[in-house]
Amino acid sequence: MRSSISRRAAVAGAAALVVAGRMASAEDTGPVRIGLIYSKQGPGAAIGEFLQRGSELAVEQAGRKVLGRPIEITWLDEPNPQVSQQNMQRLIDENKVVAVVGGNYSSSALAMMSVAAREKIPLILPGAAASEITGKNCNRYTFRTQATVPVQMRGLMPYVAELGKNVYFLTPSYAFGQDILRSSRALLKDVGLIEVGVDEVPLNTPDYSSYILKIRQAKPDVIIGGLVGGDFSNFLKQWNEMGMRDRIPYAAVAVTDTDFWDVGAQASAGIYIKPWYYNNPKNSAVEKNMIADFQKKYNQPPSDKTWSGWIAMRALLESIEGAKSTDAKAIVTALERWRNTEEEIPFFFRDWDHQMVRPAVIVRVKKQITDKWDYFDVIKNTSQTEVETIKTFGDKEEIGCTIAQL
Amino acid sequence: MLDILVSQIANGLVLGVIYVLIAVGLSITFGLLGVINFAHGAFFALGAYVGWQMFQLFGWPAVILAPPVVGLIGMAVEMILIRRLYGKEPLLSLIVTFALALLIEATIRYIWGAEGKPFNPPPLLAGIVEIGPLLITKYRVGVLVATTATLLGLWAFLAWTPYGRILRAGSRDPEMVELLGINLPRVLTAVFGLGCALAAVAGVLAAPLWTVSPSMAAGAVMPAFVVVAIGGLGSFRGAVVAGLAVGVVTSLTIQFKPDAAAASMYALMFAILLLRPRGLFGERWERFE
Repeated sequence: MRSSISRRAAVAGAAALVVAGRMASAEDTGPVRIGLIYSKQGPGAAIGEFLQRGSELAVEQAGRKVLGRPIEITWLDEPNPQVSQQNMQRLIDENKVVAVVGGNYSSSALAMMSVAAREKIPLILPGAAASEITGKNCNRYTFRTQATVPVQMRGLMPYVAELGKNVYFLTPSYAFGQDILRSSRALLKDVGLIEVGVDEVPLNTPDYSSYILKIRQAKPDVIIGGLVGGDFSNFLKQWNEMGMRDRIPYAAVAVTDTDFWDVGAQASAGIYIKPWYYNNPKNSAVEKNMIADFQKKYNQPPSDKTWSGWIAMRALLESIEGAKSTDAKAIVTALERWRNTEEEIPFFFRDWDHQMVRPAVIVRVKKQITDKWDYFDVIKNTSQTEVETIKTFGDKEEIGCTIAQL
Repeated sequence: MLDILVSQIANGLVLGVIYVLIAVGLSITFGLLGVINFAHGAFFALGAYVGWQMFQLFGWPAVILAPPVVGLIGMAVEMILIRRLYGKEPLLSLIVTFALALLIEATIRYIWGAEGKPFNPPPLLAGIVEIGPLLITKYRVGVLVATTATLLGLWAFLAWTPYGRILRAGSRDPEMVELLGINLPRVLTAVFGLGCALAAVAGVLAAPLWTVSPSMAAGAVMPAFVVVAIGGLGSFRGAVVAGLAVGVVTSLTIQFKPDAAAASMYALMFAILLLRPRGLFGERWERFE
């Protein structure tokens, strides 16, 4: 009898402790922990570095505090989908983060999103352009800042059509590349183009000489590409080496400045879609400030990935402030209401798929590159008005996202 | 069709020749030291970076200093770390050298940053060569020439010089070599340095082709292991034949089925090892069996 009473007492005591612990964490005045998942090594390392610098800059500009509490950032690697997914789980279980900003590769993003949905922790993706992320795989806890592949391709196509009729595709062999093929093929007929060849290249391919020989043989008028990071840099270099730079124009989406800075002015050419460019005369005053801060700190201008990391973190911090809470559901609701009016066209996360609705910028490599960093001329945005922008991002039926209840 | 095949095969041979150079150093290290050097790719990357740095400081001719510099670094690493692995089980050398590889890559990132370094072929070798159906860049022809010269030099060194004989004898029967009064530890240090210097030569030659970035080691170390497995551990001849085979198979796969290109060398390895488990020219090493 005595043992059962004491056992009951022990259980009651343990329950009391658990409740007390829960209550203590609910009104925690400790640091607000946020996780970052960006590449630290591999072909995406330069991208990851600039993303992290952007997110870090946003934290600094917020005085390293949110809701009056200090911000604690933990940065884990994004080497491949499995490890990225594990790292996200680690951030949630061990570091007890309130949200995660990260994911540059669509493959890692898709893996991390499932963790976000299961653990109910908000995830903001600054990269990852594959449509299914805010399409058929969408979930209530995931948000994305980069324009989708279809939006970027629609912006690029008119310029591709100017260059000729015969198109050769050189895309990476994973979700992002497959999305480029799908979207482009649908658009080819509209602009009167013909596909003369396609090569889906495995990620981390260092040597493209054999692919270049194939392309040369097919004699296309223009190449539509989607190689990423270090792979793209390798290709550009070898493309130039084999005398092809000035022979066949190259067009691609979702590229970033470091892809070109890594190979130098000699090998850079083509027409591209990217989220942002530091030397765009239409940048807002807040952005110009950010550029100046970055320049002072790192002695070079920020790449578009910096902007992406910066805006994703800003959206998160501003939403936490707006929600006056670090509760996941409150953050999600605040992100759905978040709006930025600093640029010409206001941008926001669409509430029914969490896609950021904002035009991308169309750029062309300068004929003469004289500055160490300034490689591009900005042509224009992929859409010019708010109405046009919302239209290019597609309607519910096209996107195919059914988002769950919170 | 014949045109493109000829070009692809020629291209594959050039690619293969780079793989041969990377693999030969690995094969020598294993054959003569019994150590599986997973950090071989990291020395390849180090060679590229030191070469780039020499170019930045002193111009093109100074690039030739990179392999000896990396060789010296390799000798230091051998004296501090690698010699503790001799005679121990192979798994230990794999784990230690894997950790070394990560350390070297992180050091490279720390010193030079994570971004790539623009590095282009020298102006002398810019441009392409077109002979009928064959298209090849001048720089790749230069790589072919340089690699062939390096491999011939290495082979001559091993086959004809007294030092080469000592190296080969030391791998067969280290006790006897020591009994003959030869300072074996110094020989082994030199061998490891040689392996690293060869990796660095490959790194310097590959630097204008592939982006000079901390992750370039990954693009080198896996093909190196595959080539050594196919050719036979410790076999110079095997590394040459296997390297060229891997290069040509990869190029032809890209021509006909590009998404299988990355896997093609592993398929080749699988096929060869099924027929000849020790590789094409793998020899019996009493020490390891």
